[in-house]
Amino acid sequence: MSDQILAGLVASAVALPLLGFVMFALPAWFGARFGERFVAGSVGLLFTCSSLASGLAFLALVFSGRSAIEVPLGEWFSVGSYGFHWTLIGDRLSLPFAWFAAMLVGLMAAFSRRYLHREAGFFRFYLMLVLFGTGVELVVLAGSLDLVFVGWELVGITSALLIAFFHERPKPVEHGLRAFITYRLCDVGLLSAVVWLHHAVGHTDFVSGQPWLQLAVPSEGHHAVWVGFLLLFASMGKSAQVPLGGWLPRAMEGPTPSSAIFYGAIAIHLGPYLLLRAGSILDQFPAVAWTTFAIGSLTALHGSIVGRVQTDIKSSLAYGSMTQVGLIVAEIGLGLRVVPLVHIIGHAAIRSLEILRSPSLLHDHHYLEEAVGTRTVRTPRHSEGVIPRGLRSWLYRYALERGYQDGFLREVVVGSFLRFAAVLGVIDSALTGWIGGRDAVEEERPR
Amino acid sequence: MIFVSLPLLIAVALLVLGQIVSTCDTPRRARRVAVTAIQVLFAVALLGLLISEFAPPDPTLRGPGALGGGSGSWRALVSCIHLLIAMLAVGLAPVASHPVRTLVGILRLMAIACAFGATEAPLLLAGLWAAGLLVLLRELRASGDGGVRLSGVLWRYHAPSLVLAVVGSLAFLVGWSSTGAICWLVAIAVREALLGAHGWLPLLFSRAPLGLAVAFVAPQSGFYCHVVMLQDVSGSAVAHAFAFLGVATAVIGAMLGCAQTEARRALAWLVISQTGLIAFGLENSSEVGLTGAALSWQVLGLATSGVVMTLAALQARRGLLGLDRPQGSFARTPRMAVSFLFLGFASVGLPFTLGFVAEDLLMQGSVDEFPGFGLALVFATALNGINVLRCFFALFSGTSEHIGERDLTRLEATVLTAVMAALIVGAALAGEIAGISLPDVVKSMGP
Repeated sequence: MSDQILAGLVASAVALPLLGFVMFALPAWFGARFGERFVAGSVGLLFTCSSLASGLAFLALVFSGRSAIEVPLGEWFSVGSYGFHWTLIGDRLSLPFAWFAAMLVGLMAAFSRRYLHREAGFFRFYLMLVLFGTGVELVVLAGSLDLVFVGWELVGITSALLIAFFHERPKPVEHGLRAFITYRLCDVGLLSAVVWLHHAVGHTDFVSGQPWLQLAVPSEGHHAVWVGFLLLFASMGKSAQVPLGGWLPRAMEGPTPSSAIFYGAIAIHLGPYLLLRAGSILDQFPAVAWTTFAIGSLTALHGSIVGRVQTDIKSSLAYGSMTQVGLIVAEIGLGLRVVPLVHIIGHAAIRSLEILRSPSLLHDHHYLEEAVGTRTVRTPRHSEGVIPRGLRSWLYRYALERGYQDGFLREVVVGSFLRFAAVLGVIDSALTGWIGGRDAVEEERPR
Repeated sequence: MIFVSLPLLIAVALLVLGQIVSTCDTPRRARRVAVTAIQVLFAVALLGLLISEFAPPDPTLRGPGALGGGSGSWRALVSCIHLLIAMLAVGLAPVASHPVRTLVGILRLMAIACAFGATEAPLLLAGLWAAGLLVLLRELRASGDGGVRLSGVLWRYHAPSLVLAVVGSLAFLVGWSSTGAICWLVAIAVREALLGAHGWLPLLFSRAPLGLAVAFVAPQSGFYCHVVMLQDVSGSAVAHAFAFLGVATAVIGAMLGCAQTEARRALAWLVISQTGLIAFGLENSSEVGLTGAALSWQVLGLATSGVVMTLAALQARRGLLGLDRPQGSFARTPRMAVSFLFLGFASVGLPFTLGFVAEDLLMQGSVDEFPGFGLALVFATALNGINVLRCFFALFSGTSEHIGERDLTRLEATVLTAVMAALIVGAALAGEIAGISLPDVVKSMGP
């Protein structure tokens, strides 16, 4: 297969979802209305084509023995010595991920046609789904961290908007905002790493490495370590790692298909994906690698403990996701590269299926019991035989309190922020009163 | 020769338009006439921009308004931005709070803002500075007791800045450049509501008609003066102090924005935070940072003004809006909600908009000279994004109640479409826009 055809395949994996978004968003702004069948069919078709393009490119890559397909699409803008380049890469990490992500989005589009039939926000859901798919394809096929950031932002925004999909109820909205706050604060890590890498290396391109292309490592060690920690922080938010994972069970307020694809399958694995791209830094700097391992392990432990006491299926599955993603992050910290990729794809497939089936849990359970002809036995309590009685009650309370992390974040982090903002408000009010006089203060109370 | 001084031509046209509009019998008709005329003027300015971009430089044309060179394109671009701001301030001004007299005031303010682009003489700039302030105060005093009190507060803030601008101009005339620069910098700090001198802006936004507030604040005349007069101070200790003030304004503005409980004030703090970003960027000695600041200036004029005016339109339908609880319904006013969200995110760096380009250049350009400050800017931008989504959720979600409010009118939708298109087209042509976003004399001062 010629280079041009391969480049076209990789580019179309991103271009098709983007085209779909423009195709729907623009006419909708001018008042056009689309039928459910057309919307679902078009989205499904676009992502099927995107998936096929990635799959074909991957097969071509494997059989040609090449390590990567680089697709330079030109320069977006440049000023002085700085330029923003559109470069996509297809390698043994990005192409399987892009193929799998597009296929899942396409499947979700097909599934949601019935699930959201006659739902008031049917079109809005599909619009967000297409934008999300565009963001994911951009993240995974990006040839530089600059471009990863573009897709990363789109994923964050669509995630928050879909959690708040049922916008007439206050709780989904509250939870959508909470997820967005976590995303946005952790995006500071990614954007800072981008800026830092430009400062230290001069670019953020994925350049070389095994088994796939990875970030260039700054020559000065402290730069590399800081960039590594910033990327780890960015991936912690997106992948709900300890102690920032409290948003994950709450994110299940969104429609089930979006929960499945975001928090069971794709979005939650973008953090590990980023770490896999930063493998060059993790390999050379054990401090970053061991911190990654520690955070992943703690998350897996936390998710496993807390997940055991959840009383609703979606929360239970959310903590199941958290546990598995924690394990994946720990694997990356240990220096494994192919195993985490296999783990990601396996976990994404199973977890999204579980979440999709969760609304019919009771039905499935009854069906299972009818099929076996007897009541199913409850899961054996392995842990109770191992954990001492004193520790058991402590762990039980820890699990019920979700690791005290919500309280910590609410009281310590958010509380401190609001107290500090209140102090600033008082100072601001006093200063305004001093300069502007009584008229300025009458309605200028600290808020 | 008709295009020799495009900004002056447009300023005169806006003043004439103000006179024509003052004869209209109803605000609704006045608004329609004004928007139509501004659209024609925008087409003229756009033509001027195209001519200046594609026509070969004409050595016989000299002076600040001359086209046919980099600075000519810059002035044409600034005129286009000013006209879009005027379109927003007039087109989305609610008729109940913006009688014909206020619309005329808005047009006069925008005429003065355009006239800035026709001169670089310090004394003339100080004169325009005074004229803009007097028009605003006159309009406020005519709007009742609250306006009189507010104008008193504004006078306390702006009178010293006006005096400093005049003193600074005289100092330039007698050759005391350093004194002149310091006087002008302090004056600009007040005019652009940098920290310590910012107290008037939240008051203006919460008490004045929002169209008037936008027409006074969004053109950022202070920064125009900075660009044309004060680039000599770049790299000096004074410049670094001003940059620090900009960063502090950006961060604290963003923090206080997130803690507000009233929509108008939250957006006022968003504006303050973004003016801080621009102030910081203008003190960069790198062309990348300066271009980022100049683009941020345009983004503030378009996107942030668009958000503020969308809020004005929403408040006209629903009354004063708080942020303490979600109280709107996306489904009832979808196009208004989409405009708010798009423009809000565009102002804080939504991918594929001019805001993203501005943010990227600002961060990349500043990290070499101010590494610590650059990271603070990333944090401020993250908080501003949270502020935008928080406002969006509070204003457009949380209830299914419908009080009969209508979505965007045709006029409002036309104006918002033009502004959103400008942000997207600006991003698509980011390379070209970045190339003309600063006058040649400033770009040539980079290292």
